[in-house]
Amino acid sequence: MRIAFAGNPNSGKTTIYNAVTGRSEKVGNWGGVTVGRKEYPIKSEFTKGTEAIAVDLPGAYSMSPFTPEEGITSEYVRNEHPDVIINIVDATNLSRSLFFTTQLLELGIPLVVALNKADINAKEGTSIDVAALEQKLGCPVVSTTAIENKGLAEVVEKAVALNGTTQKAPYLQADIDLHDKNAVDKEDRKRYKYVNDIVSKIEKRKTKSAQVNKQDAADKILLNPVAGILIFAAVMWFVFWVSQAWLGPLVADWLVGYIETFQEWVATQLENSPPILSALLADGIVGGVGAVIGFLPLVMVMYFLIALLEDSGYMARVSAVMDPIFKRVGLSGKSVIPVVIGTGCGIPAIMSCRTIRDERERRATSMLATFIPCGAKIPVIALFSGAFFAGAGWVSTLSYFFGLLLIFLGALLIKAITGYKYRKSFFIMELPKFKVPSLKFAFKSMMERAKAYIIKAATIILICNTIVQVMQTFNWQFQVVEEGMEHTSILASIATPFAFLLIPLGFGVWQLAAAAITGFIAKENVVGTLAVVYGLTAFIDVDELALTGGANNVAMAMGLTSVTALAYLFFNLYTPPCFAAIGAMNSEMKSKGWLWGAIGLQLGTGYTVSFLIYQFGTLFTEGHFGQAFIPGLIAVLCMAAIVILVGRKTRAHFDEQYRLHQAAQAAKA
Amino acid sequence: MTLLEAEVGKTYEIKEIKTDDDEMNAFLFRLGCYSGEPITIVSKGKKSCVVVIKDGRYNLDQLLSEAVVI
Repeated sequence: MRIAFAGNPNSGKTTIYNAVTGRSEKVGNWGGVTVGRKEYPIKSEFTKGTEAIAVDLPGAYSMSPFTPEEGITSEYVRNEHPDVIINIVDATNLSRSLFFTTQLLELGIPLVVALNKADINAKEGTSIDVAALEQKLGCPVVSTTAIENKGLAEVVEKAVALNGTTQKAPYLQADIDLHDKNAVDKEDRKRYKYVNDIVSKIEKRKTKSAQVNKQDAADKILLNPVAGILIFAAVMWFVFWVSQAWLGPLVADWLVGYIETFQEWVATQLENSPPILSALLADGIVGGVGAVIGFLPLVMVMYFLIALLEDSGYMARVSAVMDPIFKRVGLSGKSVIPVVIGTGCGIPAIMSCRTIRDERERRATSMLATFIPCGAKIPVIALFSGAFFAGAGWVSTLSYFFGLLLIFLGALLIKAITGYKYRKSFFIMELPKFKVPSLKFAFKSMMERAKAYIIKAATIILICNTIVQVMQTFNWQFQVVEEGMEHTSILASIATPFAFLLIPLGFGVWQLAAAAITGFIAKENVVGTLAVVYGLTAFIDVDELALTGGANNVAMAMGLTSVTALAYLFFNLYTPPCFAAIGAMNSEMKSKGWLWGAIGLQLGTGYTVSFLIYQFGTLFTEGHFGQAFIPGLIAVLCMAAIVILVGRKTRAHFDEQYRLHQAAQAAKA
Repeated sequence: MTLLEAEVGKTYEIKEIKTDDDEMNAFLFRLGCYSGEPITIVSKGKKSCVVVIKDGRYNLDQLLSEAVVI
């Protein structure tokens, strides 16, 4: 049997889903965390042996969808006929939640109400007469506290028991013409009146919800346009600093020690085997993968801190305080959430754009969200900051804030290209109650991420490194490349044409081009490939965030100055994300034009940013422009010309459509 | 008057919602924000405000604050 989890946003559906299935799907204290359907069998200890699949759905306020993710829910309960619905109700906001409950009860599918957040009600002195509510709704009602695992067994038990029955609706909408706006409005008012009557009889509140409390005082500061934004910047800086300049590297040093020992052990084991095999195993596989794994602690600490933020209720405030700025560039306050999630991984970030109602804003956000460096780019940032900038914390902070700046500039560009006409873009965000973030949830989220990172390193990164190692070891005749003849290897001959294009950016050598290309498969590959092609391993040193054997050795091996290193780093950060994220963009945008526009914009941005940094950086440090300034300038100008042309075409098309629209209206009149 | 002209801490009755956007109106309706219902202003800035509708707190931007007539 299938049990669907439906209810208002931020009522705790996914928390209950995770508890009964043992999964670790993303949870957070704001409305719209879950944007897709998730299914998994419920643990048998809950179902007493009956096979039941839990279906977690995005939050919805009613059966009529407003944003794309709400549509998933109403479509599912209407068309896929789940056997039972568990309606998770936020017990602190009964009067709003029961509107949806009465709609669900009309479907005829047996329903159990989980009155969640009972702990908050107990604290605030709100009491609900569960037995009376049960009787009024005609379905089982169970009081639950999902974060403490309370009442969940009873909910599942009651749901399983109802399998095969039919629900009788306590309230039925009159048979009206659903296209008649006034009739629908009248019916909805009647439904709300029905709900209000129930609530007034069964709910007793000690504290009125409109009463001003401490949270409102905090919100006053957090939502202040100046203080709120400064606080957000400070909070994010703190997260980056702790994860990438303090605690993360501290743990990484310790881990790298073990990796090095392991690598030496492997090398000893292979002492008597052919040198090719030992090079492949010890340097290529263990070294390359080890280099990536070494940065794992940085990613983990970051995930832990972001999870704490997400769980606290702060995200909704950030979204509200950033709305005016984002609106000015043609995005929405809701675009902030993908940006923050994007610090972890671009794919969920792009998916979370679904909560944005306006299509143009949604597509633009999913196009730009990956300019914020994701967790996979942390190793790249840490490597370059360690090798070329003595582990300076400003490199990582700059990477993130520069990414944010690119989002703003990109949004303005998209606004100009699409011929954005002024359209009312409303913003409303529910401000959930703050809560002390759960260390347990944050820890779980961190471990989940660590697992994914290790699996990725042991599969994709491992395979890529092996291929890179083989391609570098052999030439096209499958002979081992001799020392001094590295440029004849398969890898070199494939990467060289690309390297040629990168000369105006200051890093036109095949090794760096190869690393940038493998980065499109997974961004950690940039580090892995660099480790392989330059024969460098174990990137982080014990004492300072410098490279083993001295940061200078690595810097020299790569032959980059600090200007070219920064250009190369930014090229890897701001060019298109990995293929998986591009795939996510494709499925969210649902438009080939937008997808290619996105890839083009990202390539163009990465190229232009690197070009400017390298050329002007060289001008500044050495008093002259870098190599191939003119060809690079021509390339950048060509890209600008393409942008202008595309913009012109789109705007002409837009105007035409607009005119047709007006003509049609005139004809009607 | 609209929400931005209202007094902080007071509860008003919503007279009309004027967003010129049927879907938006319907969405607000489902939150319990429709004519005849009470709305309380918790705080307001120059361009936004925080209100209580039913038992939930919401942040509204300028456009929406001006669209709710009380």
